[in-house]
Amino acid sequence: MSAQEVVHLTMPARPEFLRLARVTVAGLASRLGFSWDEIEDLRLAIDELCFAIVGTEALPGSLVVRYRLSEHALEVEGFLGDGPSSRVPAFSDLSGLILTALVDAHGTQSDGSRPARAWLRKARLERTD
Amino acid sequence: MVFDAARRDDLRRKFVDFVSSGDKDLRQELIMAHMGLAEYLARRFGNRGEPLEDLVQVACVALIKAVDRFEPERGIEFSTYATHTIDGELKRHFRDKGWAVRAPRRLQELYLRLGDVVASLSQELKRSPTVPELALRAGVSEEEVLEALEAGRAYRFASLDAPSSSDDEGETLGARLGQEDPALGTAEERATLSPLIAQLPEREHAILALRFVEGLTQSEIASRLGISQMHVSRLLARSVAQLRASAGAG
Repeated sequence: MSAQEVVHLTMPARPEFLRLARVTVAGLASRLGFSWDEIEDLRLAIDELCFAIVGTEALPGSLVVRYRLSEHALEVEGFLGDGPSSRVPAFSDLSGLILTALVDAHGTQSDGSRPARAWLRKARLERTD
Repeated sequence: MVFDAARRDDLRRKFVDFVSSGDKDLRQELIMAHMGLAEYLARRFGNRGEPLEDLVQVACVALIKAVDRFEPERGIEFSTYATHTIDGELKRHFRDKGWAVRAPRRLQELYLRLGDVVASLSQELKRSPTVPELALRAGVSEEEVLEALEAGRAYRFASLDAPSSSDDEGETLGARLGQEDPALGTAEERATLSPLIAQLPEREHAILALRFVEGLTQSEIASRLGISQMHVSRLLARSVAQLRASAGAG
């Protein structure tokens, strides 16, 4: 695999489409050799990430999820594509706690030059066999 | 659900008190007083392919939302207001789950079969298996394994690890395990993340604490509680979704 490969997923910013983000992360993590447990963690983590951006209500516009693959790790970031730009992703205390347990790092980024985003990173455990 | 006139007056007064004081005990009392309404409304949506237990949870979350948003000064009865809110949430639940509910039976069956495969491979390999390993053992493609993982969310989770009774509601974790695991007490005590967690059933509460506070993996929790990893996965996903919905309502 080259140094980094990127997959973009653009979908309506509505809760009923979030399964696409889960299915995609599961497929990509499987490709990278993540274990079943790790994939389950990533699926829950993606739910938290998307929730931080979209919330429980449907928003107008689109949600963009970008998956960046390296040899042993997956980085995911999400942001609103063409929806209300004033909305800033935020992890609740509970989401923060959950993500701390599920992934290696997570956060939000808002630098003004591009849409505010939430991100997470998880590397797979090295296996000895 | 019908209250007598005295009880209705009492509840009206308590709603007025709650709106002005925000008292948590009052809130809890008002929620509990109307739980029967939530269950009744959830049952009306039964037999439509969704587990009743999940519907009751959706209705309860909507009830909490209704209690928090009710404005008694408008003169409308709470039961009328709550019925509208709960009905709306139940309908939305069906709309949002439209895809998942239609997951092909073939995938739901594969999801169930994978539960056994995950358990046996985890034991053989002494680690969580990968998707290619699962696909090879189950004799299906990797894509089918991944699709089944998603389809599993729609399956009636209770059947994955059916308790001996038809309804394990109210059964304590201690009763289920035969004896208390001292580590669970510690985990639960440390799970003071949010009062919302206290609203979850005891088993879900313990699973959340073990996963997110103690840092155990899903397989480790499954082994500790004597249930399947798939079941842990479903309970975790459902509990987190419920907490999120409750937090959104707060």
